[in-house]
Amino acid sequence: MSAVTIARPQELAIPAPARMSLLLLAPGLLILLSIFALPLLGLVLESLKQYVPGRVGSAVDASLTLENYRELATPSFAGVLYETFKLSAAASLAGLMAAFPLAYCIVRRFSPRQRAACIGLLVMLVLLSMLVRTYALELAFGSVGIARPLLLALGISPTSRGYIEVLVEAGLLHAVMPICTLTLLGTIQNIDPRLCDAAQSLGAPAWKAHLGITVPLALPGLVSAFLIAMTFAISAFVIPMVLGKGRVLFLSNTIYTRFSDVANYPSGAAVSIAMLVISLLVLSLASLAHRGKGARS
Amino acid sequence: MNGRTKRLGDRILGGAMVAMLALMLAFLVTPLLVTCLLAFDSRSFLGPLPPPALSLRWFERLASLDYVATGLATSLKIALLATVIDVLVGTAAAVALDRGGFRGRGLLMAAFLSPLIVPAVVIGLALLLFLSRIGVIDGFTRLLCGHVVITLPYVVRTVLASLAGRDRRLTEAALVLGATERQAFWSVTLPLIRSGMVTGAVFAFAVSLDDVAVSMFLTDPSTYTLPVALVSSMRASFDLSIAAAAVLLMAVTAVLIIVLERFVGFDRLLGQGLFRS
Amino acid sequence: MSNAVEFHGIRRRFGAVAAVDDVSFSIAAGETVALLGPSGCGKTTILRIIAGFERPDHGMVSIGGRDVTALKPYERNVGLLFQHYALFPHMTVAENIAYGLRHRGTDKREIPDRVEEMLALVRLQGFGSRRPQQLSGGQQQRVALARALATRPGLVLLDEPLSALDAKLRQDLRAELKQVLAAVNSTAMVVTHDQEEAMSLGERVFLMQSGRIVQTGSPSEVYGCPGSRFAADFMGRANWIEARVTRRETGLAQAVSRSGLSLTVPHCDAEAIDICVRPENIVLSAADTSGPDGMVNSASGRILNVALLGATRQILVETSGGDQLLVMQANRVGDGLDPGKAVTIGFPVDACITLPAGNQAAASTSL
Repeated sequence: MSAVTIARPQELAIPAPARMSLLLLAPGLLILLSIFALPLLGLVLESLKQYVPGRVGSAVDASLTLENYRELATPSFAGVLYETFKLSAAASLAGLMAAFPLAYCIVRRFSPRQRAACIGLLVMLVLLSMLVRTYALELAFGSVGIARPLLLALGISPTSRGYIEVLVEAGLLHAVMPICTLTLLGTIQNIDPRLCDAAQSLGAPAWKAHLGITVPLALPGLVSAFLIAMTFAISAFVIPMVLGKGRVLFLSNTIYTRFSDVANYPSGAAVSIAMLVISLLVLSLASLAHRGKGARS
Repeated sequence: MNGRTKRLGDRILGGAMVAMLALMLAFLVTPLLVTCLLAFDSRSFLGPLPPPALSLRWFERLASLDYVATGLATSLKIALLATVIDVLVGTAAAVALDRGGFRGRGLLMAAFLSPLIVPAVVIGLALLLFLSRIGVIDGFTRLLCGHVVITLPYVVRTVLASLAGRDRRLTEAALVLGATERQAFWSVTLPLIRSGMVTGAVFAFAVSLDDVAVSMFLTDPSTYTLPVALVSSMRASFDLSIAAAAVLLMAVTAVLIIVLERFVGFDRLLGQGLFRS
Repeated sequence: MSNAVEFHGIRRRFGAVAAVDDVSFSIAAGETVALLGPSGCGKTTILRIIAGFERPDHGMVSIGGRDVTALKPYERNVGLLFQHYALFPHMTVAENIAYGLRHRGTDKREIPDRVEEMLALVRLQGFGSRRPQQLSGGQQQRVALARALATRPGLVLLDEPLSALDAKLRQDLRAELKQVLAAVNSTAMVVTHDQEEAMSLGERVFLMQSGRIVQTGSPSEVYGCPGSRFAADFMGRANWIEARVTRRETGLAQAVSRSGLSLTVPHCDAEAIDICVRPENIVLSAADTSGPDGMVNSASGRILNVALLGATRQILVETSGGDQLLVMQANRVGDGLDPGKAVTIGFPVDACITLPAGNQAAASTSL
């Protein structure tokens, strides 16, 4: 029998598998476009509009201006920016340093039951309402909280700015630690425990082995966890609002103030866009550094 | 360094670790325990622990506040509706992204996950301005839009992870046994990604129930969510009814945890793509 | 001729690589064949083409007289036993077995009986309500086999059926597999890289290398008369002696090896030849005893080392000329064959396989 070439099925304009995929994507894409992408675009536009005091929002036919962005180049805005980043970075770092040993113990030291209990606790914390966690901290350590007598006895004024900053940090830490720990579990699981064993059989004490092997190998995961924590902390709203008592303001609180107190939508929009751009910059800078180390992201 | 110093160093490390772990776990848990205790405090002011007597007065006070009941009802309705939409739309999108077969798959995947990296306030403000402009003034609809946007990525992420982690040979086995692609999807693939769907749904529900940042922009005097109502109330007068509300919300979380354990199991939870680095 | 399976002129490229390069074969109804070759030789691609997961670039596949080349997997009736079983974890054993029956339109009322029939066939009666995760490896394999056979397919494909099992289990299941396949009288093709698996399960062996079938025959034919150095090395252990032909007679040739050994071997046209002798065909005895009688080819040498493998032992001998030959024989305790001992080795003419020298075929990875 002579070889027969297989006749290929008629090629459709879009082959069937791709058509099905696009059909399945359609509702999601519709939602993304209509209530995510378009509103963000609208926000950009709004930030370029002129704000007329006394009006709610901007006039429909207002001219385009960069005034709102120029307003951001003020010390007060820079102060808020600095405050946000300072506290976020500190909380993220602290959270990471606390999460890493905890994650390590869960993976390497705990029995299966202890592991399940701990993971259960962490997941519960992640699912638990941020509002609950924030007010819990306020009730425990806040200025009218039950720790008040103790603080006064130690000479700490619970209403001082310094203490309020610490409280906001604590709030961020409380939120960031469970997420970081859970993220790092995967990282540590991927590190072969026998590497540390090898180091120790070659003479290194445990702490040196970990410093020289576990930590460097976990670095990509640590960077990722840090990014996740930073992203969360920078955009925190409830924590600074409740615990900051108006003394500590984050970027998100500024946006809300512009919106609710002053009805200066264009300015609020401008701060929003600025905040978004800054967040994206931080993310891409860090993941570039991450990738630059030769690690897979 | 000699063996004694090494062992000493190890012992210090070990001790420091134990101390730090204890401190951390205490830090995470203590405020919550305190809150639970205070919720049952019989005093009408915030006094030092332990409370002299227990009572349910704060729960009664909470129940007596109309806005709490209304807010809770709205919150639950929105959370449920948003979760249902998320699971349907998100699973479809994840299945499409997993199948591939079209260009720009990576970009689309990033697009679906992008609401996670946009600050919630930005989403709230943007949506408010946009929806007002196009004439959507109904509070419930606006809230629903906001909640769907911020919760959809959770479902997409977990379902995608489930799909990526499954054994594709099972689909081939189904095909060879006589199932068409569609039959194979419904009878083999879908059951396998059930855990991803449940995990995503639980997280979507929790995020929606808890949201403050987006909701604060989108509420109106007649439609508001429970967190928003609580925040305004506490700003006006801070009392222990917040502790009672906290206990209730913790109970809701406990239910969610039970659902997760039952349908997914904690040991599998980590593979669901939520905590992927 | 109504063959159960016709595979004709199949070609499949992946990029620049020809995974399957003009392969043709046929399988008679009720026959079990083995497709054997090292990894990367294209046997998996052929399996996937027959099952319907890959389309060939050229060629035709027909099963039961029907041209199935353009058909989807669910439109053919091929049974497939996956290498790691691919049992549906969310279904019971019975539901797994019933899956094919349900989707091929079997009458609902007949399904439970058929499932019971299949469970009895693989000796897993009563396991119907268990889940795959609760079964051992061997049991899972039997369920996978039952599932593949339930729909009475025109061809059953077995992908490395014994590779996932440990050695002892492998032997037990090998016998069971043969028995089950015979009981249902199905046409089957075993795809494997393990020549033991191929020779024990297949009535015919197709040896593959780099996308082509290089030899076909019964297991003993391919083992005893390999057509190339690759085939000889792949089918089992082989000793090689390079030699030059000095004289030809009817059906025989006299040759002298590099090491100066004088040998009588089966006829070969080439001048320079490679002589292959299987270790089990070499007779060995201590030098001080009477030498191997009637052995045309013999040499004296010294034992280098002895490896005890249980029932058999492998003895490495260095001849006076410098050749190192591996001898395999039944293990006999206490006959004093230790390293360093002087010995005589010998082998008959028909133990030799002569091939033209340098017949390497493509470089093959021995497994």
